[in-house]
Amino acid sequence: MSTPGPLPRALHSSPPGEDTPMHSNDTVRHLDLPLDLEAVRALSVGDLVTLSGDITISIGLPTHKRMVQTLQAGEALPIDLRGGAFFHLSSYVVDAPDGTGTPEALYMNPSTSTRYDAYMPPLIRGLGLRLVGGKGGLDQHSVAAMQEAGCAYLSFLGGGCTLLAESIERVVSSHWNEYISQFRLVTLRVKSLGPATVAIDAHGNSIYEDLRVRAQERMPQILATLNQQRKPNP
Amino acid sequence: MPITSALIRSVTATLYERALKKIPEDTKAVLRQAQGVERSDTARKTLTIMLQSADAAEAKDHLICSDVGIPVYSIKVGTGARIDGAIRQAIVDGFADLAAQIQPPILRMVTNPLTHQRSHAGKDMPIVAFDMVDDADYIEIVCAPKAMGSGRWEALETFVYPSLETIERYVLDVVLKAGSQPCPPIVVGVGIGGTFDHAARMAKQQILRPFGQTNPEPILADMEKRLLMAINSMGFGPMGTGGDTTAMAVHIDYAASHGFMPVAVALNCWINRRTGARLHNDGTVEWFE
Repeated sequence: MSTPGPLPRALHSSPPGEDTPMHSNDTVRHLDLPLDLEAVRALSVGDLVTLSGDITISIGLPTHKRMVQTLQAGEALPIDLRGGAFFHLSSYVVDAPDGTGTPEALYMNPSTSTRYDAYMPPLIRGLGLRLVGGKGGLDQHSVAAMQEAGCAYLSFLGGGCTLLAESIERVVSSHWNEYISQFRLVTLRVKSLGPATVAIDAHGNSIYEDLRVRAQERMPQILATLNQQRKPNP
Repeated sequence: MPITSALIRSVTATLYERALKKIPEDTKAVLRQAQGVERSDTARKTLTIMLQSADAAEAKDHLICSDVGIPVYSIKVGTGARIDGAIRQAIVDGFADLAAQIQPPILRMVTNPLTHQRSHAGKDMPIVAFDMVDDADYIEIVCAPKAMGSGRWEALETFVYPSLETIERYVLDVVLKAGSQPCPPIVVGVGIGGTFDHAARMAKQQILRPFGQTNPEPILADMEKRLLMAINSMGFGPMGTGGDTTAMAVHIDYAASHGFMPVAVALNCWINRRTGARLHNDGTVEWFE
């Protein structure tokens, strides 16, 4: 019962050489945070990077809404995120037992970024964020904001909890702690976090948009192939 | 010695923990196979990191993904199974034990849809589907935690006398809409026919099917092959950052229906959470993936 059967034979269809493989550097580029504008503009989609320094994370929709409202009211966030790195990573944060010490982050892992599409452009522009990320990408409004502000999007491995946890050095701060752990605004000191893939760069290139458009363009051919392969209904 | 509710409770907790910490062996094998076939550097590297992540979680007894999902169990009760005590309550208690004791601790994902309050428990949690199996002398419990990455893209539409072409196009439309976001390479489960609820259950059952089994219905066996190739021609690739491997498998089941015919599409992300156990009347437990 526990022995897996033979593997599916036809995992792939299109012959090699049909497409030009996506650009990618062989080397993993290491980045020390915070990044300056020049360093962000040097990144291209397909690059693999690791990060060391301070990152701020949250996957709370209420958190994003509150951040935008705070900026729109002309008030300061509890931490200075200007020019910083803000990622859709969820973390399990344990408060110090007496409530006074530094909390501990047990692990972290990316979440789907598109559900924050509405909130990201004002955050990217308002804070001049240099790096955003998570997994699954952001929409074209964010891509435009990122090009304007000088910001790149990093795709972290979904299901990368154990590996990503290895990079956590300590919790620098945890704010809005009335929220559940993953909704808090948590700043972590990380060392060699990644590798992550640059999936949207600061030049208006988005792997996600390219792939979406390309898949849609391929659909007529894909459907035609299905029609050819399908035997007539008995 | 009958199958006790204490045993069911303990197996319920263990299955969930296994699902969170270990991806099935057949799934690792397909990811390794894809590494050898991928033409994109980004995709090959992403697959490598995936396999490293799976190994690291197993070696360190850690979570593969922080989105531990909500608890979903399918239970088959053999008519010859001898059971001592409550089953449904044992499942509720087993998940509560898991949530209270698992290390590292898990985030609260069970969400009240009316208030968005989060917890480890809630109305109808865990979600349990029961089936009877005639003449079997065991209980089979399958655990498949459902998280947001793939869960939010699952869909169902009811058609009237759909052609195979219409059905296939709908499956592709669901996968296209999910695009880069469901943590590909995904497993696609499809349920055709029956009723609204039955189609969804069939689709769910099909994502739990081990890889490599040939569909006994020849029409569906062919459909599975061509849909897998079609999906892998789309180009989304591992983690949706480009590549040839968008799906690891397409599994389809059907049921007799009426002229209205629902088609349900369920998705599992690359970590492909599924674990199961068979509890026999003599108290022995057989584990499977």
